[in-house]
Amino acid sequence: MTVHDLKHAASDSARLEAVGGRLSRVDGPAKITGAAKYAFEQQLDGLTHAVLVGATIAAGKVTAIDTRAAETAPGVLAVLTPDTIMELRGASDWFGNPPALSTYCPLAREVTFSGQHVAAVVAETFEQAVAATALVKVWYDETPAIVDLSDGKAGDGIAIDAMTKEWGDAQAAFAEAPVRICAAYNTPREFQAAMEPHGLIARWEGDELTIWEPSQWLDGMARTYAEWFGVPFENVRLVSPYIGGGFGSKALALAHSAVAAAAAKMLGRPVKLVLNRPQNFTSYGGRAATRQTVAIGADKTGRIQSIVHRGVNETAVDGMWVEPLGSVTSIMYATPNFSSKQNVVRVNTVVPGAKRAPGENPSAFGIECAIDELAHELGIDPLEMRLINYAEQDPHAKKAWSTRQLREAFAAGAEAFGWAKRSPQPRSMRDGRQLIGWGVAAGTYPVRRAHGEAVVKIMADGSVVVESSSIDMGQGTYTILAQTAAETLGVPVEQVSVKLGDSHFARAGVTGGSRLAGVMTGAVYKAAGQALDELIGLALSDPRSPFQALQANTLSVKDGRIASPRGEGPELSIAEFMAAVGRDQIEAKGDTMPANSTPEQRYKNYTTIAMALPHTEGDWSRYSWCAHFVEVKVDEDFGTVRVSRVVSALDSGRLYNPKLAESQWKGGIIMGIGQALLEEGIVDRRHGRIVNGNFADYMLPTNADIPDIQTISVGIPDPHSSALGGKGVGELAIVGIAPAIANAVFHATGKRVRDLPITLEKLI
Amino acid sequence: MNDQVTISPTTLSILLSINGRDHALDVEPRVTLLDALRERVHLTGTKKGCDQGQCGACTVHVDGERVLACLTLAAQVEGRSITTIEGLAGEDGTLNAVQAAFLEQDAFQCGYCTPGQIMSAVACIREGHAGSDDEIREYMAGNLCRCGAYPNIVAAVRQAAQELRS
Repeated sequence: MTVHDLKHAASDSARLEAVGGRLSRVDGPAKITGAAKYAFEQQLDGLTHAVLVGATIAAGKVTAIDTRAAETAPGVLAVLTPDTIMELRGASDWFGNPPALSTYCPLAREVTFSGQHVAAVVAETFEQAVAATALVKVWYDETPAIVDLSDGKAGDGIAIDAMTKEWGDAQAAFAEAPVRICAAYNTPREFQAAMEPHGLIARWEGDELTIWEPSQWLDGMARTYAEWFGVPFENVRLVSPYIGGGFGSKALALAHSAVAAAAAKMLGRPVKLVLNRPQNFTSYGGRAATRQTVAIGADKTGRIQSIVHRGVNETAVDGMWVEPLGSVTSIMYATPNFSSKQNVVRVNTVVPGAKRAPGENPSAFGIECAIDELAHELGIDPLEMRLINYAEQDPHAKKAWSTRQLREAFAAGAEAFGWAKRSPQPRSMRDGRQLIGWGVAAGTYPVRRAHGEAVVKIMADGSVVVESSSIDMGQGTYTILAQTAAETLGVPVEQVSVKLGDSHFARAGVTGGSRLAGVMTGAVYKAAGQALDELIGLALSDPRSPFQALQANTLSVKDGRIASPRGEGPELSIAEFMAAVGRDQIEAKGDTMPANSTPEQRYKNYTTIAMALPHTEGDWSRYSWCAHFVEVKVDEDFGTVRVSRVVSALDSGRLYNPKLAESQWKGGIIMGIGQALLEEGIVDRRHGRIVNGNFADYMLPTNADIPDIQTISVGIPDPHSSALGGKGVGELAIVGIAPAIANAVFHATGKRVRDLPITLEKLI
Repeated sequence: MNDQVTISPTTLSILLSINGRDHALDVEPRVTLLDALRERVHLTGTKKGCDQGQCGACTVHVDGERVLACLTLAAQVEGRSITTIEGLAGEDGTLNAVQAAFLEQDAFQCGYCTPGQIMSAVACIREGHAGSDDEIREYMAGNLCRCGAYPNIVAAVRQAAQELRS
């Protein structure tokens, strides 16, 4: 893969509409006027409303459900239970592995977590459905639940051998090291908590199913629906024009999705089902709770000799989630000896899932706190400590970094923050009763890559349409694809309209792992280039073309006008040219799949994650990098921690739109502040139930919690990571924020808090 | 489970004044203003984030003051003047200064909390609570944004407040 010099205005990136320009969101006007219709806001005739009933036990059996009172309540159309809901077929997982069971019931007979859906009421109105759920009586045979990782019944769990990474003799080297630290780091169950709840509208017309659902992966979810209902993939249409936040949670069709689609089929009417806010804490998995121990042995100059890492994450009784805890541990620092192993422990929870930087985020909390502890032990500045152990190549893959601007990030961040003025001793900086702490930590996220596809159409009026079944959940897909098409074709960006979020458009894989921008700019660049080639080819060869007489080899298109590069002959707008040659449109479909790919491979590429390209493929190891510098103020009497300043320098390669990338970085930093200081799913130990499953008790950062944040881009185009040189943006910035804050709190107070969140009772 | 729940079939005929237009609705007394707007009047710009008064996504103006539509019954606001995000721009489509500033400052990502943020911001400025960045942060703290647009929201409110003062 190479970086393509764009044909137009590559040196003109100051122009807003060019790739790399600070164009405001093209979907912005719809969002600030209320005109943007999100998926389940569509108005349909005959719409009915479904509301779910959740289990009140965490483990056991449903022995009986009395639906009689609910069924006779006003407006109620149906009460669905495991016995009355239609039987679905099992669906394959996101790798495409076939299901373990041939049938699937989205309402539970065997309860494995509190809040699991056991029944659903469908009624004419939302209010009628809500009221009738209170009339559904459920009896259980309750059995003891394993409530969390610290439950005595939880045990040591299952070793995940695929997570083991080892080189050298880590245990022996650690034992012999002159300086050693070893500590345990814990992160709690955390939730994505997107502001838009999960939900959907399902409508059947014959054996064709339309689903309006917020989705990070239209084609993957469409496949699941098709398999559940035994209909062809093409019969399922997923529509998701805007997504009110996902953060990893909206990539899969889930049990509540199946209930709504089944209810719609059974009733022959469209069904809307939206999870209420507490159900958003139990119906799909947040980030698994984790436990890590990190042992580092070093020589007296601070050079690491060995890292021994052990990790555990919780998973569900009936589902597997591995949060890769050794992912950052194994690559951040150079070490001749290394060992990382991981177990998972089954507890009675919904299957944990992906939340912004799954794996890298908790992994960085362990290693980036541990390196700070080692620095303190040796009396070395924590920034200097990181430079002493700088990994010049990927220590695990033993390959060169494609690009690694981490040294530059440390330098730029330290300079902007004023790190040189830091007083090294803990508790040595204060502002009245406020203890001041300065902390640093690094972060990283792999460049996940995949093949992509897009359609670009040049219309008779000179406008350009880009179509893809990829999505925009706030990252700026609409905007950067408009910029890519405009620059490639040489038309003003106002002439480009981007259509996303419909599975009937050109295929797209999952929007996750920070891969979409790189994949889709590459696909649109290719499709737009093909459309441009066709346009110019037509202009040179069509007998009706005013350019034919020129006998030129090529033509240029700039600002939507076609002309000879030498300026001779006619100059026409695209619309005038299309009229002259009598064309309605020019359409090109471009994809980045290998040319000889079969239809089966294409289907698999877009509906599973099995064909993702490894980030260490070939000669290179591809990652984004960042360095965070944080100031905290800790009230000496009360232990309250406030983040007062953040400076982050980040290497996401080339930025397609810095204005939008900076917003995503800040968003990651802010979610990291929540993780460090506020967020924790609290489980009632008697009932295995999340007791703070709402926005008052599960505390997200508010505007008043967030200080000024400065972000600095230190990236350079990375030719090995994507067609246009970008690396990942969305997940990078959250990685390393929690340890930077924990390290700052240690510097402020002298107390090392190793389990998140850092709440006041842990400091006093 | 509660056997004592009674479900009243009563409906009320009410007239709501929304964005300067009257809407005649037949709704049950338990229907919230939020669900009346979204499900009956089909004004979906006002968002449902939590339905519990915790997130601010459903913020609208009633007689010029910000209220949470999810904690307000539709029947409570009959005869009062309701403004939603759809009614903020001028008749000719001219954006309110706050809307324009949100776009310019990139004060949103997914856009789901945005109508509530903008309605709060308009009221925050009108209340005289946009005097400093710290004051803006405090008086905008009732509107959650999970994408983390807070610094840009503060910048947008500051900019709009300055424009409206000048």
